[in-house]
Amino acid sequence: MGGFLLRRIGQGLLVVIGVTLIVFIATRMVGDPVRVMLPLSATDEQRAAFAQQVGLDRPMGEQFVDFVGDLARLDFGESMWQRRPALDVVLERLPNTLKLIGAGLGLAILLALPLGAIAALRPGGWIDRTTVFVGLFGLSLPQFWFGLILIVFFAVTLRWLPTSGMGGMAYYILPAVTLAMPSLARLVMLVRSSMIDELNQQYVKTARAKGLRFPRVVMVHAMRNTLVPFVTLAGWELISALAGYTVVVETVFAWPGLGLTAMQAIQKSDLFLLQAIVFTVAILIVVINVALDVVYKLIDPRIRLA
Amino acid sequence: MNLLTRLASSAALAAIMALSPLAAEAADITIAIGSEPSTLDPQIRDDGGERAINDNVYETLMARTPEGELVAGLAAAAPVQVDPTTWEFKLRPDVKFHNGEAFNADAVVNSVKRVIDPAFKSEQMAYFGTITGAAKVDDLTVRVTTSGPDPILPSRMYWMKMVPASYSADAKFAEAPVGTGPYKFTSWNRGQDIVLEKNADYWGNAPTIDKVTYRFVGESGTRLSGLMAGELDVITNLLPEFAEQAPKFAAVSGLETTVMILSTDNEVTKDPRVREALNISVDRKALADSLFGGYASPVKGQLVNPKAFGYNKALPEYTFDLDKAKALVKEAGAEGKTVTIVGEAGRWLKDRELIEAVGAYWKETGLNVEIRIEDFGEYLNQLFDKNKRPDAIFVSNSNELLDADREMTFALQSKASAASNSDQEMSDQISAARTETDVEKRQAMYDALTKKSYEQSYLAPLLNQQDIYGFSKRLEWQPRVDSKLLVKEMKVTE
Repeated sequence: MGGFLLRRIGQGLLVVIGVTLIVFIATRMVGDPVRVMLPLSATDEQRAAFAQQVGLDRPMGEQFVDFVGDLARLDFGESMWQRRPALDVVLERLPNTLKLIGAGLGLAILLALPLGAIAALRPGGWIDRTTVFVGLFGLSLPQFWFGLILIVFFAVTLRWLPTSGMGGMAYYILPAVTLAMPSLARLVMLVRSSMIDELNQQYVKTARAKGLRFPRVVMVHAMRNTLVPFVTLAGWELISALAGYTVVVETVFAWPGLGLTAMQAIQKSDLFLLQAIVFTVAILIVVINVALDVVYKLIDPRIRLA
Repeated sequence: MNLLTRLASSAALAAIMALSPLAAEAADITIAIGSEPSTLDPQIRDDGGERAINDNVYETLMARTPEGELVAGLAAAAPVQVDPTTWEFKLRPDVKFHNGEAFNADAVVNSVKRVIDPAFKSEQMAYFGTITGAAKVDDLTVRVTTSGPDPILPSRMYWMKMVPASYSADAKFAEAPVGTGPYKFTSWNRGQDIVLEKNADYWGNAPTIDKVTYRFVGESGTRLSGLMAGELDVITNLLPEFAEQAPKFAAVSGLETTVMILSTDNEVTKDPRVREALNISVDRKALADSLFGGYASPVKGQLVNPKAFGYNKALPEYTFDLDKAKALVKEAGAEGKTVTIVGEAGRWLKDRELIEAVGAYWKETGLNVEIRIEDFGEYLNQLFDKNKRPDAIFVSNSNELLDADREMTFALQSKASAASNSDQEMSDQISAARTETDVEKRQAMYDALTKKSYEQSYLAPLLNQQDIYGFSKRLEWQPRVDSKLLVKEMKVTE
């Protein structure tokens, strides 16, 4: 297990370095950040002076050497947009996104297991058909539109919840539901289909024949086998949420998270901030992947980590 | 006191309290702006979110009336020019910063020197490029010097916020601002809100609103929802199509004017007849009505903002005359030839729609039109390319200082930032107007320049945009032509 972890962390580091390099090159190829940063009316002399001040006038190779050196010290430089260390901005916004993902995916995961299992008990029954219908509906909803509809109904018409922003518990409900909807739909469908498969397996019949009660067979035996693909998909949902799926929700609900900040950094061509964001997210994704492998092992002792 | 009088007086008190809820309730409002300020240092960035807040915390030597007229602010009167490159400002006495520091010549000298210091890397140097220094004459007199004669200096000083002499060096300054303005900083909860409260010691007329909370909502639909749900009192950049849905709204002529900058050197557009055809083939009134719900005005023959100094009152609106445009294109032998428009999408309100509509009008003249919508970085590369100018490039020009120098040096002066003509005579005249300090002579120079640009169709200016604000029922405010959100001018009625 220890050797496995070391190897995975080593591979992860390679991924992180690779991703950061791509960002370094890509951000410098897309337009001139100095032009985007300064007002349109700035003169050429002012643009040249600014480029010199932020060090973007130097040859690419020289910038790259500095970049790698700074990276080794975890120094991402100063965000040109926020005028403070880029890492500070990331560390300030990351918790907000993690809270939103926690609420949204937590909701999806907690609801998906019972809903999918209940639907699988009677494939083709009305509960099953309703679940499939709602699931497909949830998958096909554009999140942007769905979020605005929730705002109009619950915040504007009923005035039960705030329209946007971050604050107490009430502020989490609408964005979490919006974020959860497509993930919930995918997870429910997965639990339902793999549960149907499991319940048709011989071991279920054997267990029933030996006199075990049906609820126990479902909850303990079949569910445990369903959990392996479920964890895989839930992990994928978590990774894609971190890698940017929260942007839409954060935009609609004015949620001060990392996704929104990344989008603003792109709009403002803030290379240094963008590099810090991508680096942080890449590390998180590597960590989650390693954690998922460990979780598999806990669920299914047959899996060998090698 | 007997029972009867006691009863009577308490009844009277209850009646008074019932009649005047305002007296008991503090007037607090919430304003939504599109983006959170990146810093609250008023001198370092060119950022609308920062300005929206600091315009209430800080003040400038010169100010503007809601209609745009330049008047004295922290200066006691308009500045006097003591020699071609020196302007003398007398300061308003007895003004204090929120932390008790005095507003005096030292504060002004510090404010000027701080922002122009190259090591400070201020993005606002685009506004202050000509300023070389400031010197104290006495406690309430300051002289500001410029690199050459600069008639725009008073307008520049309407943009430069005055910061306290000693606290502005404090590490906390960018997070907890201290100005002389009608509102003082209370708190900044990053990502969530910024709160200001009334400055009880304000030197000017006391503001009526006690507390302002700013929230940052980028998505326009969400902003409108917040207004309709009663959470917000003021929202900015209300979309024209949503204006009627807001509880109340107001539109005012804004700072932005859209334009197609036409190249005088390219094969097809070098013919003035073609350029004239491009101008008269566009039905600007129809564009203003269909794309902007009427919240935009067709320009009058020029790019210069109607509220700016140097605006030419004599120029007419472009007449929409498709037949004449067709004839001009035919005469120039340009039928079927290609004119390329370079533009971008998403930076300005309905930019793509406007570019495509103009392209469709141009096609009607018999020209072939190619529209290239570029990524913003690539678009800027082409906008600022000195050697290869596109036939037409779309841009929305914003004139913060309300002086025609902006439009001239940005879009008309050959080899300047975004100009596409090679008229050397015009370029020299623009440089001359830039340093002409006689107000009437300068106006006459701009009248001549705008007229020539109109006759030669160097530009195809399109629409002067209006800013639309949404208000809650209880809020009363007349929006300003300089787009500043001044809370001291707002009132709450309930």
